[in-house]
Amino acid sequence: MKRRVLVAMSGGVDSSVAAAMLFEQGYDVVGVALRLAPDAPAQPARRRGTCCSHDDFEDARRVSERMGFPFYIVDLRADFGARVIGNFVAEYLAGRTPNPCVMCNREIKFDRLWSRARALDADFVATGHYARISRDAAGRYHLLRAADSTKDQSYFLFTLGQAELARTLFPLGAMTKTEVRARARALGLANADKPESQEICFVPDGDYARFVERLAPESSIRAGHITDSEGNVLADHAGIHRFTVGQRRGLGIAAGAPFYVREIRPASGEVVVGNRGELNSRGLIARDVDLVDAATFDAASEVEVKIRYRHPALPARLNFSSPRSAEVRFLSAGPAVTPGQACVFYRGDEVVGGGFIERAIRE
Amino acid sequence: MSTYLDHNAGSPPRAEAKAAIARVLEAGAGNPASVHRPGQAARRMLEAARAQVAALIGAEPRQLVFTSGGTESNNFAIYGALKALPARRQIVSSSIEHSSILAPMADLASRGFPIIKVAPDREGRLPSEQIAASIDSDTALVSFALANSEVGTIQEVSPVAEAASRAGAIFHLDAAQAVGRIPVNVAELRCDLMTVSGHKLGAPAGIGALYVRDPALLASILLGGPQESGLRAGTPNLLGAVAFGAAAAAVTEHFHDEVLRISTLSNQLLADLFDAIPRLRLNAPIRDRLPNTLNLTFPEVLGESMLIALDLEGIHVSMGSACAAGAVEPSHVLLAMGLTHDEARSSLRLSLGWDTTRNDVARAASIVPRVWRRVSAAQPASSTQSHWENLRENLR
Repeated sequence: MKRRVLVAMSGGVDSSVAAAMLFEQGYDVVGVALRLAPDAPAQPARRRGTCCSHDDFEDARRVSERMGFPFYIVDLRADFGARVIGNFVAEYLAGRTPNPCVMCNREIKFDRLWSRARALDADFVATGHYARISRDAAGRYHLLRAADSTKDQSYFLFTLGQAELARTLFPLGAMTKTEVRARARALGLANADKPESQEICFVPDGDYARFVERLAPESSIRAGHITDSEGNVLADHAGIHRFTVGQRRGLGIAAGAPFYVREIRPASGEVVVGNRGELNSRGLIARDVDLVDAATFDAASEVEVKIRYRHPALPARLNFSSPRSAEVRFLSAGPAVTPGQACVFYRGDEVVGGGFIERAIRE
Repeated sequence: MSTYLDHNAGSPPRAEAKAAIARVLEAGAGNPASVHRPGQAARRMLEAARAQVAALIGAEPRQLVFTSGGTESNNFAIYGALKALPARRQIVSSSIEHSSILAPMADLASRGFPIIKVAPDREGRLPSEQIAASIDSDTALVSFALANSEVGTIQEVSPVAEAASRAGAIFHLDAAQAVGRIPVNVAELRCDLMTVSGHKLGAPAGIGALYVRDPALLASILLGGPQESGLRAGTPNLLGAVAFGAAAAAVTEHFHDEVLRISTLSNQLLADLFDAIPRLRLNAPIRDRLPNTLNLTFPEVLGESMLIALDLEGIHVSMGSACAAGAVEPSHVLLAMGLTHDEARSSLRLSLGWDTTRNDVARAASIVPRVWRRVSAAQPASSTQSHWENLRENLR
């Protein structure tokens, strides 16, 4: 009996090759495109170039037809709206900078989609993520960086635990992007040279502030002052959701040395700025911590922490105050820490866990 | 193994229809409007087909205009009636019509035409007395489906026919779904216009007809030639028409046996499903319903997952209406009948037809409950509404 796998297909080259490879390996592949972003009255449903457009669905469908496996569109707009977009807006309104891709993986692709997969009698869910899963002799699962370090997406996957990893396949983990495109061409897939998507899929114009303002109730917008560290008012601003810690541009302050956002205080609406040196931190408080293998996790030994997707990992020690919150102390001075972003714990190539940044520790 | 239970979306082509198409292709027929003999031969085939379709609904052949299908016939009825009665502006219809009625009405409403859309009851019945009472001297057209395509509810017609006739309004019945499934006779129904669709009967999609009681009632909306008594310009779709005629003749020939056979099969399926699935609900009256149509609400399950899971098992059914990309939206008919969004999302339509066998029904009766149990175990229904406004509401 063939093992059935539900493959989430975006219409891009990565998930297309992932599906095609699993099909060639003999899996009973069922391709699905996920309908995620609700149709906004102001936005027509068919926008070119976003992850949920009609054209992208058709690209995915063409791959399924070329290979000969079934393909469907599944409607996850309600879950995506409540769990990803709702969280995205609420985080910005609270003065934090969310990472919706992590939330989408945690809530949608490896949770809601899994319940769809079970309904279809599938044994696995697969995606085109660049990351690797391995299983050791003791039967424990490990989440590892991708072979292609420039494409590695393990940062976005730290919420996956043993149960999720056991039912997940990442067929591209050992490949480079160049190899994936070559494979797509060899398979005759029409989207082999399709450009990559960069922006957050439900904000195709990249204007997060305007997106938040369209959804948020008027009363939840927190306007206030831009101040320096001593509390001197430098300017006014129209809402803390327009700022992110570490940001330099667009502050509307004329000064000799460049100013950076150092802290956002949601209660008072203050955006505190400082010079580059004032951004540095000694660590952070992480909440909603997930461990890839809680049963074998060694909290005492050192980890390397990535506090942004494109940042290098920094050596750090963890100090848990409860099972799901930890103080993360960098072993040497760290850069600006942005509340709301994911902080992911690595040991070498392995992701051991992670959480979301609550706040910086400066002293 | 494949069991096709989506005849209300479209029946597979009948052998008679395929053979008729092959004959025309073989004969190399000309343009029915041409004077030469190949043209005359084509014209004979076209008129024979017209007579076959007309016979199915008790009409005279000259009262039948071939169209490209139900959607064109419905658009033709609406715009043609308003054009023919320029002094009148009102349209009386319902909220459970096919989109080829609803969309033209929305278009007209946006241009200031008064549109009345009556609501159905919980079983999809339209209040015929209320429709009749809405008709007045400004009413150009009264239009509704004789049998609803999604739930199969058959409407009461005679009070409406009476009122429309008294008020001088044009009375249109969309019988795309009813013809071939129940006896339909234009004289008994006393309608002025009737939509008929080819592919619901086993002809290919792309051919339909509008019955027009009196050509003077209606103005053409496709201009450019004298075809179809001047009511519909354009070279007729001869291949479609002969297939439609052959399918209509096949329906007529076995009509009573076939209606009985389909009723028996669908009643058996319904009984088996009721036995196997607690709290299953039929969204239509037990009587006054197309015998081939079962619109069912499955408790605590997401219909979309059921639909896909059944498709993977080789049972092909439908849910709501498909969007351009092929995703499904909850049925506007079920919502209008008062079902909640979650109930509408848990509903599937199974529709039987000419190629449905006893074996198909037995397969469905064994597979559907098994799939329902699996899907409901995997995924208790917990959907919330997904629209922008609800998202805004949640953030308050």
